[in-house]
Amino acid sequence: MSLFLQYLAAGIATGSTFALVATGFVVIYRVTGVINFAQGVFAVLGGFLAYSLLHAGVAHGLAEGLAVAVTAAIGLAFGLVALGRRGTPPLASLIVTLGLAIFSYAVVITIWGDNPISYEGLSGLLAVGGVSMQRQYVLIVAAAVATFLALALFFGRTYLGMALTACSSDQRAARLMGIDVWRMGLLAFAVGGALGGLAGVLLTPLQPVEFDSDVGIAVNGFAAAIFGGLVRPATAFAGGLVLGVAEAMVAGYFRSSYETAIALAVMLGLMLWQASRRGPTEE
Amino acid sequence: MAPSARRRRVVVAAALAVSLALPPLLAPDWQSLYVFVGLYAIVTCGLSLLMGFAGQVSLGQAAFYAIGAYAAAIPAVHGVPSVLGLFTGPVVAAAIAAAIGVPLLRLRGHYLAFGTLAFQLIVLTFIAEAGDLTGGDIGLRGIPPLGIGGVEAVTPLAYAYVTWIAVAAVFLVTGNLVRSRPGRALRALATSESAAAAAGVPVAAYKVRVFALSAAYAGLAGAIYAFFLSYIAPGSFPILLSIQFLVMAAVGGLGAVWGSLVGAAVVTLLVQLLQEIGSLPGMPTQIPAVLSYAVYALVLIVVMLLLPSGIVPALTARAARRRRDDVAPTEATAGDDARASRLSSVL
Amino acid sequence: MREGSEPLLEIHDLVVRYGVATALDGVDISVRRAEMVALVGPNGAGKTTLLDTVSGLVAAAAGRIQLRGRLAQVPEGRRLFPEMTVEDNLRLGAWRVRDRRVDPVYELFPHLAELRRRKAGSLSCGEQQMVAVGRALMGQPDLLAVDELSLGLAPQVVDMLAAHLQDLNRRSGMAILLVEQNARLALDICSRAYVIEAGRIALTGPSEQLRRSPEVQAAYLGGAYEE
Ligand SMILES: Nc1ncnc2c1ncn2[C@@H]1O[C@H](COP(=O)(O)OP(=O)(O)O)[C@@H](O)[C@H]1O
Ligand SMILES: [Mg+2]
Repeated sequence: MSLFLQYLAAGIATGSTFALVATGFVVIYRVTGVINFAQGVFAVLGGFLAYSLLHAGVAHGLAEGLAVAVTAAIGLAFGLVALGRRGTPPLASLIVTLGLAIFSYAVVITIWGDNPISYEGLSGLLAVGGVSMQRQYVLIVAAAVATFLALALFFGRTYLGMALTACSSDQRAARLMGIDVWRMGLLAFAVGGALGGLAGVLLTPLQPVEFDSDVGIAVNGFAAAIFGGLVRPATAFAGGLVLGVAEAMVAGYFRSSYETAIALAVMLGLMLWQASRRGPTEE
Repeated sequence: MAPSARRRRVVVAAALAVSLALPPLLAPDWQSLYVFVGLYAIVTCGLSLLMGFAGQVSLGQAAFYAIGAYAAAIPAVHGVPSVLGLFTGPVVAAAIAAAIGVPLLRLRGHYLAFGTLAFQLIVLTFIAEAGDLTGGDIGLRGIPPLGIGGVEAVTPLAYAYVTWIAVAAVFLVTGNLVRSRPGRALRALATSESAAAAAGVPVAAYKVRVFALSAAYAGLAGAIYAFFLSYIAPGSFPILLSIQFLVMAAVGGLGAVWGSLVGAAVVTLLVQLLQEIGSLPGMPTQIPAVLSYAVYALVLIVVMLLLPSGIVPALTARAARRRRDDVAPTEATAGDDARASRLSSVL
Repeated sequence: MREGSEPLLEIHDLVVRYGVATALDGVDISVRRAEMVALVGPNGAGKTTLLDTVSGLVAAAAGRIQLRGRLAQVPEGRRLFPEMTVEDNLRLGAWRVRDRRVDPVYELFPHLAELRRRKAGSLSCGEQQMVAVGRALMGQPDLLAVDELSLGLAPQVVDMLAAHLQDLNRRSGMAILLVEQNARLALDICSRAYVIEAGRIALTGPSEQLRRSPEVQAAYLGGAYEE
């Protein structure tokens, strides 16, 4: 039983980072219609940046915060390239984001080399009702939930956030209000960059990252995001948790080499079930 | 109309002649490259058909490339005449695609992209775990060369011509399909599924068939690949390969048969060129990787931002524009007349 | 009011294309301050395209557009943000201007004050059209363009909204460009009208005169069932 709870805790922690990456996918997709395949890159860059800052003697907390700020700026830069000239079609933008991901490999290898890195997160265990879990897990989950709530407030309550929501809800109407949809797209990319960077700085102490770790992170984040149809942040967040827990259970009770495949098969099964329930109109 | 058809025929004939004459003139390394361009063009052609005509995305096309490779290699390793692999590869890939396509193609757009991506990861896991059959993570070694009777293809030159025949066959089939009545129905499918359904096109069945056909192409290319390298492993078929097929299709231009060849050639040659430059003597060890990632990425970004619909459609559109400019005045007059008559009928 | 002054909106020889198809072909239109002008014509004539070009959503291929003031558009089909509340929809209408106070709109449509916390997607069509008009007014326009005011609405609701528009025009001197397929309504409440067909202005003049024109009577006023 306690083994089960430990797997559950580990699953919820990694699932929370998937959820952050997934939310980044959703924010960018809703506003711009682009699936940003460079979403995993933000996490990798966040991890590497925090690693360098920590080694330069910057205190924990500040280092991670700076790393997230830089990934937000990188997100903005990626958005500038990916959205291209106004009117670039989303499929072209999607492939451009793939190009940006590959370009980032060159940058990461040049600066940091091609070996995996990691750093200490919060150390020690925290006992909650007979289950002891790593403090880093608690930090991850707390940070993810706080971020999600802050985002909900931003999109639902602030004027700027509402304008972003308006762009994702009806671009034509938003443009008629005078909202610059292209600029809002850049802002969405910056938010996506920050979310990915946050996932990276939280995840790196648990799983070392290297230059091409972004593929695995992006696949998991995309799987979670697609669970919510790429447009519902709350469902995407839940999808991330489901995926994280499923992978932890498969790895714990079965074989770790099966974890991604089985978790993806579960997601796929759920999706097919949803599609078949939508009925014969899909034929 | 007639001059453009004639021009087209000349271009095609020239392409055939050059590509047939080329392999013996190349060094063996470049003959291998020739094979890869051809194999990637075959896979990309299927993907381009799937995306440009049936309007469906696949992020897992390398899975069918892998299935074709294993379906050809496993019997050959167990003593079945290797030439049969050219049938088992595409047939098994198509059969699996047809079977999974029925549920999978109920997913749309991005869901389908995810579904195909997930399918590939599942296939790779299966191959890695089914060690008795597939050689597992270590891979399958000692695949015999392609042969029929006493004749075996062992040199890159031989595989260059095998590939040439395969590409020609695939392009012939695709070209005929595109021009056929079902081909036109497919095009309707890509524009609007519900409109196609309303016009009586059996949408679901067509989608599955195109999916299976694209898988057959990938399976055929995979089979040739297995015999050519005589060694395959799950690591030969990463997700990045699927993405590269997507990139080739997009660079060449979706729905353009020749675009798949152009896309495959441009991307493959570019990657090769970068590796050559990076491994020149005196270069630091990380340079090949850095250089090839950076330049590959930059070319990809620049091409997609400048020619978002791909190279071949951009070129044909320019040619069409030139032709239209020649006849523009008459067309405008006709349009004016049509408008005038419509106006009078309304008032 | 000031008849002699320069028009608020002047469109001269406007051409708009979608790809190779020409949607507008040499259109001339002008609207003076405090004027109510109708733009009528069949489906696909180019009315929405015209408004979108003036709003800057669609690029003109040729021609000149001069707008001496602020424009707000009530789009065809209302296009509210359905997940947001009525009040948030209204506030977003003020994106271009600093003032986001919604009270003036509630004074105009007291019913909306009761609905302020409701999600816009849950309202009836008539209520939604009220929000759409209110949202456009939040942009403090000098010219209000209304695309298909009556589309899908019950006659009493249309009459109520039309009365509000006339009232606005009379009291604040706001110019209104009313796009309508319901020509009878448009000619009733506007002083001048343009008839647009297949991307060209087919007829123009004071409403009185157009109402009596045999072409307009045959094509647009011949019977309500023809709409
Ligand atoms: N986004 C678009 N792309 C291509 N054609 C369009 C587009 N919008 C409108 N059209 C075409 O332009 C013409 C005018 O349309 P529209 O301005 O919507 O007419 P109306 O509002 O008078 O019904 C129609 O033939 C329509 O099919
Ligand atoms: Mg219209």
